[in-house]
Amino acid sequence: MHIAITGIGTVSAIGMNCAETLQSLLSEHPGIGSMRQLGSVHTELPVGEVPYSNAELKRIAGVSEEPMPRTSLLGIIAAREALTMANRTCDAFISGTTVGGMDLTEQHWQDYSKGKATEKIRLHEAGESTNAIAKHLGHFAFIATPSTACSSSLNAIILGANLLRTGKAKAALVGGAESLSKFHLNGFNTLMILDHQPCRPFDAERNGLNLGEGAGYLVIESEEEAIARGATILGYIGGYANTCDAYHQTASSADGEGAFRAMQDAIQMSGLQPADIDYINAHGTATPNNDLSESVALLRLFGSRMPAVSSTKAFTGHTTSASGGIEAVVCLLAMQHGFVPANLNWSKTGEGLIVPITHTTRQPLKHVLCNAFGFGGNESSLVLSTEGIDLPKAEYTLGLSALCQSTTPDDSEVSKYISAAEGRRMTSQTRRIVVAARQVMEESGITMPDAIVCATQWGCMLQSMRFLQDMLDTDEQQLKPTPFIQSTHNTIASMIAIMTGNHGYNCTYAQGKQSYECAMADITTQMSLGLIRSALVLEFDEEVEVWDKVLTLIGDKTHAVARATLFVKKD
Amino acid sequence: MEQLIEQLKSQIIDALNFEDMTPADIDTDAPLFGEGLGLDSIDALELIMLMDREYGIKLADPKAGKAIFQSVRTMAEYIQANRTK
Repeated sequence: MHIAITGIGTVSAIGMNCAETLQSLLSEHPGIGSMRQLGSVHTELPVGEVPYSNAELKRIAGVSEEPMPRTSLLGIIAAREALTMANRTCDAFISGTTVGGMDLTEQHWQDYSKGKATEKIRLHEAGESTNAIAKHLGHFAFIATPSTACSSSLNAIILGANLLRTGKAKAALVGGAESLSKFHLNGFNTLMILDHQPCRPFDAERNGLNLGEGAGYLVIESEEEAIARGATILGYIGGYANTCDAYHQTASSADGEGAFRAMQDAIQMSGLQPADIDYINAHGTATPNNDLSESVALLRLFGSRMPAVSSTKAFTGHTTSASGGIEAVVCLLAMQHGFVPANLNWSKTGEGLIVPITHTTRQPLKHVLCNAFGFGGNESSLVLSTEGIDLPKAEYTLGLSALCQSTTPDDSEVSKYISAAEGRRMTSQTRRIVVAARQVMEESGITMPDAIVCATQWGCMLQSMRFLQDMLDTDEQQLKPTPFIQSTHNTIASMIAIMTGNHGYNCTYAQGKQSYECAMADITTQMSLGLIRSALVLEFDEEVEVWDKVLTLIGDKTHAVARATLFVKKD
Repeated sequence: MEQLIEQLKSQIIDALNFEDMTPADIDTDAPLFGEGLGLDSIDALELIMLMDREYGIKLADPKAGKAIFQSVRTMAEYIQANRTK
């Protein structure tokens, strides 16, 4: 089938819709500037903010309820633009985020930590911020929130395409949203990878990234249906891949293995050759590590026939989980209007680095590659094309069996599998899930499953709360990096991939109590399509006293689980 | 100096969560990264934070840590010379 894109929508520091975004790109007008909305003490850090307060965003989004995560407000505005343009309803809504309602949680943390809470505490959940967007757009039979840090949105697009190809959805609204939060601004600051000047992707003297915020969505449906209803087709999904660098929780490997595999596999799925790619919208965060590793991967794949490359993060800042969605929209605008967006602020070639396109350049674009890479080495690439590319359909079958399932390991089993040194950064529940995963891989004899997928309601809550408490206690001044690094929802699935050297598909779903269903929808569609034959599914949540205490006030509680199951495709 | 070295060893064990180690297990002159304790880039960031929190030393460039964190001794010497508290 040909997967057509019939609607796009975006919000970021360079525009509240596609038209404004296009104008900023063409006129090389960046959106990075001084902090006006976030309210962090770190005003020395430039950011790519959407230039409106939450109250103003509510007016723009037509939302009256209180409170609403900023992530959801940005999501509503961009998603509505995409749906309006497509002029249709969708039965699936897949929206990546990591921040979710963290902006509200950090605002109310002092109360929460003292055991005071109201219903708004539920909005902390990444899945709830997606539900809040969905509520304003209509009815969706399927809602999912992939949370793989900075590659979340591309993974949303991938799941959406797989649902279409297996007939599990007729049309999907896919992408992601992410607001700035003090939490991740401080987190990136502890990693010492934030530039105090506007960022300079791929420049020899680049000195880190600027964070940004926004949302980006596509409406995807079969070309057949798009034509039948007379819709305008903006482009096509050409191919995609999700791989794991399996190297380090926050750093990219020197050989760019994960990035190389993601780009190679995406191009291979599209049936194209690297030489057919006209433009690459690079992840290009402007950290010394990312840009070098990505350049190495690009040079490995494209050699001397390097297509036009640019990172648009000097326009928008690094919009983290939203970046894949926003940049896919940027690519589609560039394809529609025939230009390569500029890689701003670049001036100097560096050893091992690709040389980007530094000014808006008129050029027809037929096939484009869009990269988004995340913490834990979660790497995704997407091919977008102006012509239909055949992606085989498959009948959806629930043809899988659980080969082996763990129980939650006790402490004696944990110490047998994990040395004190190896487990020193892990919470006790993290150690249990790692052991559970190792046990089922050992028992089933499948030590290298094709996919590792984690389902979690609250994510790595204990580490998140440590970081929130440190922020409160030190007024954002003296924060330990480890709790932040291990706070992202994808920590567990990527950690297991890193420990076992697994470069396969790697994803995490944070859709409240439906997270497990989302994980199963992901692996069953992939098995139906023959993309994977085996999958390790992890269920992870930890019981955290402080959080549980406040949840009890609203009649809920956390359900601790650390269970691993190995599924294989039935022949 | 010896007192600072002992104190620093305890602080390193604490900051990096080496639960089953004591200061006696850390060789003052052994490399902290690679061999020796086998620390990595995240640990380097934790050590930078440790120097800020305990000794009021702010490092703006993470690359500067490389020379300072060669061993517990080099770290103690740097702290001695640069501490503000």
